[in-house]
Amino acid sequence: MDERYHDFFGDFGGRYVAEVLRPALDELQSEWMKAMKCREFMTELKTLSNQFTGRPTPLMFAENATRVLGGAKVYIKLEGLSNTGAHKINNALGQALLARRMGKRRIIAETGAGQHGVAAASVCAMLGLECTVYMGEADIRRQRPNVFWMELYGATVIPVAGKGATLKEAVNEALRDWAGSFEDTHYLLGSALGPSPYPDMVREFQSVIGREVQREIERRNLDVEALVACVGGGSNAIGFFSPFLESESPRLIGVEAGGRGTGAGEHASRMGGEGRRGIVHGYKSLFLLDEDGQVRPTHSISAGLDYPGIGPQLAWLGIRGRVEFTKATDDEALDAVRFFAKNEGLLFALEPAHAGAAAMQIARAVSPKKCVIVNMSGRGEKDLFILARAFDGGKWKEFLHSEAQDVQ
Amino acid sequence: MSNRIMTHMVAWFPNREASLDVARGLIDGGSSFLEIQFPFSDPTADGRYIQEACKTALDKGFTVSRGFDLIREIRALSGLPLFIMCYANTVFVHGIQPFLRRCKTAGVGGVIVPDLPVDYDEGLFSLCEQNGMQAVPVISPQTAERRLSLILSNKMEYVYATLRKGITGSYTAVQEAQLLFLRRVGSYGKKILAGFGISERGQVEAIAPYVHAAVVGTCFVKAVLEDGNDDLYTTIRRKTASLI
Repeated sequence: MDERYHDFFGDFGGRYVAEVLRPALDELQSEWMKAMKCREFMTELKTLSNQFTGRPTPLMFAENATRVLGGAKVYIKLEGLSNTGAHKINNALGQALLARRMGKRRIIAETGAGQHGVAAASVCAMLGLECTVYMGEADIRRQRPNVFWMELYGATVIPVAGKGATLKEAVNEALRDWAGSFEDTHYLLGSALGPSPYPDMVREFQSVIGREVQREIERRNLDVEALVACVGGGSNAIGFFSPFLESESPRLIGVEAGGRGTGAGEHASRMGGEGRRGIVHGYKSLFLLDEDGQVRPTHSISAGLDYPGIGPQLAWLGIRGRVEFTKATDDEALDAVRFFAKNEGLLFALEPAHAGAAAMQIARAVSPKKCVIVNMSGRGEKDLFILARAFDGGKWKEFLHSEAQDVQ
Repeated sequence: MSNRIMTHMVAWFPNREASLDVARGLIDGGSSFLEIQFPFSDPTADGRYIQEACKTALDKGFTVSRGFDLIREIRALSGLPLFIMCYANTVFVHGIQPFLRRCKTAGVGGVIVPDLPVDYDEGLFSLCEQNGMQAVPVISPQTAERRLSLILSNKMEYVYATLRKGITGSYTAVQEAQLLFLRRVGSYGKKILAGFGISERGQVEAIAPYVHAAVVGTCFVKAVLEDGNDDLYTTIRRKTASLI
């Protein structure tokens, strides 16, 4: 058995799907494992990662932030400088190349914040594949610019109806599509979750983040206290942490969405004691569930962190204690966006701003000899409407009014 | 000739009392089996009608305990074999063994859990065997022969054959491919319950020679959603009778 393929992590993970999807997942597993050993496939992936995605992404020493915080040296992995603005493209590129190799002509994807959808749409445009993206109506409202980009790339964006429909509902709809279309369609799942082999496959395609960081740590001889990443489903975190999972250091810290409170439906923190063991979307992990096993509503200011489940490997690493979990609230994330914009000229997306917020606290508490590396998994242009409303209510509202009048 | 059908309903849809009327209609209309779905927040194998029914049932206050209460009342109405259909999380969160014990106490003969396939079943199939219950595996026309023999190698009596890929709801034309599939499954000697997209007598008759019973689901949910005259019992009883 290939060491990259686990299926289960402890007793989390698995392939809990209806029989109709079984042949598609069995085929995906064997074709993925073959591709990873195929020199041509890996060469093409690497070439396109360099020329199209823009790898390697920089690891920046955030000197000003370090000085202001007065603790550990802060380094920022600028993953958001990738083409399409987030780490999502690493996985989208890998899976789309795999789909083409498998002879699939159509790609379906779910998206929350829209970053995975944009990455999938962009890669499909480049590779000449048909692309359909499912997106919840609530997410379409708050991440409208990404809908526009996806359509510009030639993808079809299908709104998933329902009050409060977000990523969870988009996954439901993509799974329904795939149950009827798998013969010519690949489901390009965007996070390190879902039925096996997705958690393993997505981690491997995202592990390029961690490998680049590891190389830089060695080259610059950094004494690293902690790596910090935000965790929705967890694909940027598991890719970032991946080379360090078997060693005891550095500390690996996952940051969940603390939302606007601790009550049911006010956050999306699953690892702070609220997550319950469940089987949803084809895998076993920790989910936000009510007493009867129904999936609970969640909230986060960031559309990329409000999924009610967490990737099975991260859940297991959390229970084992290898990955520590903390959370940042909506307001803390907004403060972190402002902090890094003002001090470093960096625009964090709201998702990694949660990691930024936690890293600020951690850095303060650690010796200046050490460093803390935070993964800026995405950049914040997509959040223009949310940020402008939060930071600059009056002028922004005025602008929107005049823009709306112009359009009419 | 009289066709055997397994009819499907969603517990607490459109509400508790009315779902009891639906059950009466299905029974009096001549069903041979009742499949009662316990609603789940994320029914990924279901089309839009059953999704809507699940959502309504949950909004009306369905819980697993209330579902079993309803089943006890349905049990008292007739001796028809009752099956519960639900998603993995519902059984898993309550514990497979305790869930099956409650099934048994309520007079349920078997469970259908599509996302607990035989090799990722959390012990469902062996626990059913130990408890004298039926676990009904769900297979599809795409299921390869080797996998089919693995799925059907246990002592379970039934198999649920979906007549096409995809999810519940849209119409299935019964053609040679469907019949070939049913003949292939038939060679394993299990009682075949076959469905997905069956809503008319003609379809029921076309598969009747190859199956133990045809499964009819979404069309009753649709009938409830479209029923304007508030006499659900009669609507459902007539619809059921028209298929037999």
